[in-house]
Amino acid sequence: MSLIIDNISFSYGDRTILNRLSLEVPTGTTTAVVAPSGAGKSTLLRIIAGLFTPSSGSIILDGKNLSLVPTHLRSIGMVFQDNQLFPHLNVYDNVMFGLRMAKTEKMIAAERCRDLLNLVGLSEIAKQSVATLSGGESKRVALARSLAPSPKLLLLDEPLTGLDSELHDRLALDLQQILHATSTTALLVTHSIPEAEIISDSIHRLQTTVDIVPDGEKK
Amino acid sequence: MVGHRFEMKIRSVRFFVIPAAILVFVTAVIPLIVLATSVIDKADIFSVWTHSSVRRALVFSLWQALLSTAFTIFLGVIATWHLSRYQFFGRRTFIALVTVPFVLPTVAVGAAFIAVLPKALHHSTLAIVLAHIFFNISIVVRTVGPRWNSIDDQLIDSARTLGASPLQTWRHVIMPLGKNAIFSATALTFFMCFTSYGIITILGGPGLATVDIEIYRRAVQLGDLSGATVLAIAQMLLIAITFLLWSRSRSTELVLFRAQAISHRRLSLAPKCFLLALAAFFTVPLLALLAASMRTRDTWSLTGWKVFLGIQKQRGIDFNMWQAIQTSAKYALIASCIALPTGIAATYALSHRRSSHSRLSAFVILPLAISPVVIGLAILITYDFHPFDFRSSWLLIPVIHAAIALPFVMRSALPVVEGIPNDLRSAASTLGAGPWRRFLTVELPLLKPAISTGLAFSLAMSLGEFGATSFLTRRESRTIPIIIASLFGRAGDIPRTTGMAASLVLIVSTAMIVVTIDRKSHI
Repeated sequence: MSLIIDNISFSYGDRTILNRLSLEVPTGTTTAVVAPSGAGKSTLLRIIAGLFTPSSGSIILDGKNLSLVPTHLRSIGMVFQDNQLFPHLNVYDNVMFGLRMAKTEKMIAAERCRDLLNLVGLSEIAKQSVATLSGGESKRVALARSLAPSPKLLLLDEPLTGLDSELHDRLALDLQQILHATSTTALLVTHSIPEAEIISDSIHRLQTTVDIVPDGEKK
Repeated sequence: MVGHRFEMKIRSVRFFVIPAAILVFVTAVIPLIVLATSVIDKADIFSVWTHSSVRRALVFSLWQALLSTAFTIFLGVIATWHLSRYQFFGRRTFIALVTVPFVLPTVAVGAAFIAVLPKALHHSTLAIVLAHIFFNISIVVRTVGPRWNSIDDQLIDSARTLGASPLQTWRHVIMPLGKNAIFSATALTFFMCFTSYGIITILGGPGLATVDIEIYRRAVQLGDLSGATVLAIAQMLLIAITFLLWSRSRSTELVLFRAQAISHRRLSLAPKCFLLALAAFFTVPLLALLAASMRTRDTWSLTGWKVFLGIQKQRGIDFNMWQAIQTSAKYALIASCIALPTGIAATYALSHRRSSHSRLSAFVILPLAISPVVIGLAILITYDFHPFDFRSSWLLIPVIHAAIALPFVMRSALPVVEGIPNDLRSAASTLGAGPWRRFLTVELPLLKPAISTGLAFSLAMSLGEFGATSFLTRRESRTIPIIIASLFGRAGDIPRTTGMAASLVLIVSTAMIVVTIDRKSHI
């Protein structure tokens, strides 16, 4: 399930945000794109998810061009920077959301949901309101929620921003292990090279409005 | 010692609620107790329901209110979603267009629908339902709009990345997040339609009377005070239930959303057409009113305006329009002078006492839960003996207007008052500002939006108030809505055209007052 980003450009008004960007994410691996703030990292993820339309170029997942496929049919999950948990649903129902949308059979969905909550270590607080969660817990719920519908590709937008340093390091390791355990194909964008080194298998650098510069395979 | 003094200050804020409480006591609580205990003939508790006119009024009130509420909520929800989430040309004007009608004078809006609809529909359920939609869409926009406006775009994006189609996103994310607000908008709309009085006075007719109309008819035309009171109390109980449901939700603040929070997404063609049609729905009746005010006996003529302005005399039309304008303006100013400080002070007290918040606010907001007609009737009965014979005092009407405006002042002030962070107050104190200095230099400037919205509401409510006023008005001090209703109650073309002219003047001046004073919160 490889992802190919082919010559993507994106402008907002007169401002060019991405300029002929190309990148490949091999199946079952985690690729990181490292760039400073304002370089268009989030924009790139939004284009892949189908939330923004690129001015040119194409996104190809598993050999299929996604240009005309709406977001909800792309099977691309996304962990947002500030999690975006549904405030009207508890932890369990947030994780169940994607499975409900896909009309997954109830027993199977419930089991998958329990497995994921176990995986992220939150099965104890499944019935809690998301308003009561700590930063780390919210992040884990967001991760479990986006993994639940078994997306072909998972996008991670600065997933560890805003966490204190101890939690940050622990969660980075957990994230790497979870992505590995679930053999998820993932694309991570971050401004932190150490974070990218822990979580991902390969790292690319993105400079402002310039093509991606490969940084070589990680050992 | 310091702790003790601080405690004192906090406690003294609580007393700010007293003026509002007195106002509500005098205009609602005491009259209602008197109404419930003094005039009811026990036999009437059962026998009043045997009158066919009462049963018809009850059925019609319920039926037209359900129908009006259903359409209002349906159209309002669609409009609100687009207004709260999308940027488009003329958005500000559109928001003013759909939100201002709520404060327009009911009788004048009734006249506008007479002007726009063909004669066959003048006294029909359809006309009533349309006028109710015209009025109450504003409630949906004002209550649901801020809620939806605050939803982060990314939350909707995240639903989509989880595989939710646009329809599923609506069902599982957008609607649940707006649920409480929609629920309270539904309850408030139902209440407004059920107790509709001004609109029905103009657009109703045989078989098209609501309970409020029946109360007026029994009390004033038939002299059956006991029967009218039984109806009034029964109606109050029904409304109390609706009202309880309404006040349970906190998303009932009548504020509008901020422009800067809206997304940059553009509207597609279908919603554009919908909003355009809605804009027409809000403007055409007013244009028709203008046209109708210049047509007498099927020809263009300014007779209506001449009679209205007193330039031309007409047999049977004996009012002095200038005097009516003066009376209306005087009442509106006095009502605002009472409602505004009382309401803001009470809101202030309530926001400091969160524990008793809901109980107190339910109490002060009581006048909203009682139809103005019932208040009018109750006051008519209560204050007619020495030394409390206030009925002859002209001050009584503006005081009642203030009580009716009070809940609206408070509802619009509450979010602003609560939005002032406590730390800001503390910061001012640590910089040496005493409680009064702090209030004058920090809090009062921040309260400005609440004051202007409250002022706009109270002026508009008083200018258009018809239900309570119709019971208490005196010949020499009739307000414009009272005169409009009496003109429409007369046969002939000229009284009607004159009524159209008066309605237009009242609508335009109310809208201008609201838009000018409350400009900031309409953006």
